[in-house]
Amino acid sequence: MKITRMHGAGGKVMQNLIGDVILGSLTNTQVNGGIGLQDLDDGSTIPIGDNEIVFTVDGHTVDPIFFKGGDIGRISVCGTVNDLSVMGAKPLALSMSFVLPEGFDIDKLKEIMDSINKACEEAGVAVITGDTKVSNVSDIIISSAGIGIVEKGKAVRDKGMKEGDSIIVTGNLAEHGLTILLSREGFDLESNLKSDVAPVNGLIQSVLNEGITINAMKDPTRGGLADSLNEMAEKSGLGITLQEDQIPLSEEVNFISEALGIDPLTVANEGKVVMAIPKKDAEKALEIIKNHPLGKNAKIVGEVTSEHKGVIMETLVGRRVVDTPIGDPIPRVC
Amino acid sequence: MLKKIFVSGIVQGVGFRPFVYNIAKKNNLKGYVKNKGNFVEIVVNGNLKDINNFLINLKEEKPVLSKINKLEIEDIDTNNDLDNDLNNKLDGLEELNKEFHIYSSQNVNNEVAGTIPPDIALCDDCIKELKDKKDIRYEYPFIACVNCGPRFTVIKKLPYDRENTSMDKFPLCENCEKEYKNPNDRRFHAQANCCDKCGPKVFLTDSNGNKLLEKESAIKKAVELLEDGKILAIKGIGGTHLVCDANNDDAILELRKRLNRPTQAFAIMSTEEKYPLFSKFTKIEEEALNSYRRPIVALKKKENGYNKYISENISNLDTVGVMLPYSGLHYLLFGKCTAYVMTSANLPGLPMAITNDKIIESLKDIADYFLLHNRDIVNRCDDSVLKLISNRMMILRRSRGYAPEPIEIDFSKMAEFENKNKYKNKDENENENKEIINELNNKKIEKNIISVGAELNSVACLTKGNKFYMTQYIGNTSKYETYNYLKDAVHNILRLTNTNKLDTIVCDLHPQFNSKKFANELTKEYDAPMFEIQHHAAHVYSLMGDNGFFEPNITIALDGLGYGKDGNIWGGELLYCDKNYEIHRIGHLEEQLQLGGDLSTKYPLRMLFSILSKKMSLDESFEFVKKYIGKYPELTEKELKLIKMQIKSGLNTAITTSTGRVLDSVAALLSVCFKKTYDGEPSIRLEAFANSCDEKEKKQILEFVENMDNIRYSRLIDYENNIIKTSEIVYDCYTLLQNEVFSKKGIAYYAHLVLANCLCIISENSAKKLNINTLGLTGGVSYNRIITEYMVIKLKNKGFNILLHNNVPNGDGGIAFGQSVGYILKNEIN
Ligand SMILES: [Fe+3]
Ligand SMILES: [Mg+2]
Ligand SMILES: [Zn+2]
Ligand SMILES: [Zn+2]
Repeated sequence: MKITRMHGAGGKVMQNLIGDVILGSLTNTQVNGGIGLQDLDDGSTIPIGDNEIVFTVDGHTVDPIFFKGGDIGRISVCGTVNDLSVMGAKPLALSMSFVLPEGFDIDKLKEIMDSINKACEEAGVAVITGDTKVSNVSDIIISSAGIGIVEKGKAVRDKGMKEGDSIIVTGNLAEHGLTILLSREGFDLESNLKSDVAPVNGLIQSVLNEGITINAMKDPTRGGLADSLNEMAEKSGLGITLQEDQIPLSEEVNFISEALGIDPLTVANEGKVVMAIPKKDAEKALEIIKNHPLGKNAKIVGEVTSEHKGVIMETLVGRRVVDTPIGDPIPRVC
Repeated sequence: MLKKIFVSGIVQGVGFRPFVYNIAKKNNLKGYVKNKGNFVEIVVNGNLKDINNFLINLKEEKPVLSKINKLEIEDIDTNNDLDNDLNNKLDGLEELNKEFHIYSSQNVNNEVAGTIPPDIALCDDCIKELKDKKDIRYEYPFIACVNCGPRFTVIKKLPYDRENTSMDKFPLCENCEKEYKNPNDRRFHAQANCCDKCGPKVFLTDSNGNKLLEKESAIKKAVELLEDGKILAIKGIGGTHLVCDANNDDAILELRKRLNRPTQAFAIMSTEEKYPLFSKFTKIEEEALNSYRRPIVALKKKENGYNKYISENISNLDTVGVMLPYSGLHYLLFGKCTAYVMTSANLPGLPMAITNDKIIESLKDIADYFLLHNRDIVNRCDDSVLKLISNRMMILRRSRGYAPEPIEIDFSKMAEFENKNKYKNKDENENENKEIINELNNKKIEKNIISVGAELNSVACLTKGNKFYMTQYIGNTSKYETYNYLKDAVHNILRLTNTNKLDTIVCDLHPQFNSKKFANELTKEYDAPMFEIQHHAAHVYSLMGDNGFFEPNITIALDGLGYGKDGNIWGGELLYCDKNYEIHRIGHLEEQLQLGGDLSTKYPLRMLFSILSKKMSLDESFEFVKKYIGKYPELTEKELKLIKMQIKSGLNTAITTSTGRVLDSVAALLSVCFKKTYDGEPSIRLEAFANSCDEKEKKQILEFVENMDNIRYSRLIDYENNIIKTSEIVYDCYTLLQNEVFSKKGIAYYAHLVLANCLCIISENSAKKLNINTLGLTGGVSYNRIITEYMVIKLKNKGFNILLHNNVPNGDGGIAFGQSVGYILKNEIN
């Protein structure tokens, strides 16, 4: 079998590839009893003294490399910072590794570097190491690894949600994915739609600083909210009940996704977080989040339950199962 | 003379043993009858003449509901058999000379328990009593006897005895008990027997569930309310109906508004005397309507009469779904009204509520009043629906009155065929050959198989031995509640057949169907392997199983959608089933882009835009569909522009060969339907629209289609690949509309006929090439009378043997059955 686009689209096909081929080949995947590769969390940890070093890496390719609201440079900072942040860690430093195609415009590279710098300043992280290669790739690829720190035992796990927890989403969904999709396919429409790509460490820290426990947390990137929630549900053995009318969506996203038949729950975000928070703290957490510039549209979208497994959404016309997306949608209505 | 007789078939819960008792008495025979679970054992002692007479009575006078599949007779020689042996063989040897006994059901072998009959409509004797002022059950709504009443919907587990039904809450009064114990009584062992004194009671509540009245006065008041134009929820036998006067426009429109059901036709209930006032029917339809199964039958509206008795808001089709009363309660509802709306009390896509609390909670904003009762519904069962197509009743929905009665397939027929094939050319010893035939004939399917069906119109199927137990109608399992209902229904059918182990689970190929998730759960629960069968292959197997036909054939499977082997969406397929039961796709409708996936099913104009853009330029087709702005509120120019870009980029589109989508696009073109509010709406309405074309024009179009020359057909058909170019057909319709050659109704009729004729042409060509004589027709679109009847006549005239459905739904309600048949053909026979 050969690698197809589906293998990189998030969702079930990708999960299988990682589980079978990649993880299956490695024997050493953990250090000092910390969180290892086998946990398939957003990052891994190495316990040292009273703290744990949190470590993660992310490769970035995006077509087009410049888009409304951002570019590949900004994504390669935010993607890695956000993976550290949703582990509950404070991000410290990044590495940046570039693979450039022959003929790549140096002015473009400069533009990307400026964007990287700006994003790092926003996030408060340093780029402390890097690498540059030229190869016959079709477009620029940026890999960035990140190091963060968290108090020992305080890392927030995907699997940690508990029955009765409220599920909070920190803002309008699907903006990044739709922006990329429409510009890649050459849709010219007058629209305010732009990517939400942003570092979310400040937003998360503002919640943690108030002493609120976050039981589980993810950044809903590829595969969207549907993918993240299914992963959280599966890893915890619990179920999630969503309220469709509480899902935060901008009018623009609503219109476009409805017109194109795209489920916004399956579309990527680059500046959003989904958290499971004990019900008693949920309202307070929501208020804190809403006061942060990146969390204006946050909503409590659902609840954790032991009554069913997986993700179920209450809609106007009954309940529906929200599946892990499998890539492209397949019609199922006669 | 002593004889032992074994009878198998439907012989439980249908008054079979008292019947045997009575004919034995009549013929002066001693002995006994005993229920052995899946068969009845009879021992008779008497002279040969009486015994022969008894056997004739047994075959000819058996209870209406019973069915004898097999009858075996064994002689017992009292002189030769040692007494001990005989005692082992027979129950109570010394008794055999004195009396004829009925032994109660005992020692029922766990894995071979009998068949539970479906619910049965009130019998004539009970109707008479219901109306007889002197009878103790005068106007008693729960009247029933051994020949009628609820079965499946009240049973919790086997054996079918009163304590295992929801009648257990109602201990028999003295009189009822006497009847129950008297073999000469019609209510002998009638598990649902009860009366006003000891049985369930009805009561009337307001919309908040506050009790207003009880018993007769509740029913009288309910009738008044209905006649007054109120909407009632009425809990019946296997479910709940929403009911109102079928000739009261205000009440019907109000019900439509409250249910959010703008257009879908309502089924109505009328009486034996009144339904001929407003509907037209043939003998076959009349029989179906009056049968003890009491299905809803789609009848043609009567030109002079319909409008007088039935509101035009009941049905916007050329047919109206009619059923007759089937319970005592129903008969008591009829007074002044000619007919009532009788629609399942469920919100679209969700299972109907069956507990009193749930009924009130879910319908409090829909019903003005509730007429409820205190007997529990154990198994929910929707009304069944039938339609006459090509001179036979086809089943749109197989549920109440049918479920859980199994369909049996005689695989030995196939074994013979297999055998013929295997040994045809070999010079073998004839005896040896015979032995092999016997071996094959005796071959029973040993595995227990669960097939979970597709997703819409879901039904599951348990296969055990050669019996296929289809569950009641489940519905749209993409809804979570209905998905859970599917699980319940499967677990119930397992319980009702005493099935504890499963060997195989079969499901559809579609990666996102909830039924597949359930199949995965079952494979874990029962440690059984899972098997996938492509959707349209399952349709073909279903048709073959339904006909007991297991030879190579070419079948045309027409429907809305099924996940294809190539990952695309199929739905207009020409399939060849070879002698090894492999299904080959040998032709199909042209591939079309289905923009936005399911969205195009909901809004058929998207299909039209996508199809027309293949024949015209993108801009030209855009300008054309722009004319439809304002026809329905959801459509804006901004959205159309997005759709245009979607066509250009192919973003989020699926590829489909669905027949449904093509008919949908024509429905949009002709402004028949722009939004699907129920499954299949655009094409169902297009059929009705085409049917309403005047006969003269129909004839003209028929001639036009028949006389189109080869050049024209070679534009419509890619002969080399057996592909019907639906873009050309839709474009034809577009051109006809521009030129106003035919009326819009005529164009709708043309679309049906030309598609049907193209299908005939490619199937005929393929049949010739493959040397096949049998052509089948299946799938949801084969409920379309125009297409099916045209094809059947045409292909029959060409000398083909035609397979159509009989007892299994053409649509996705038959998929589970087909999955089981397919699994068996591919794995257990070959
Ligand atoms: Fe189908
Ligand atoms: Mg996490
Ligand atoms: Zn009766
Ligand atoms: Zn009684």
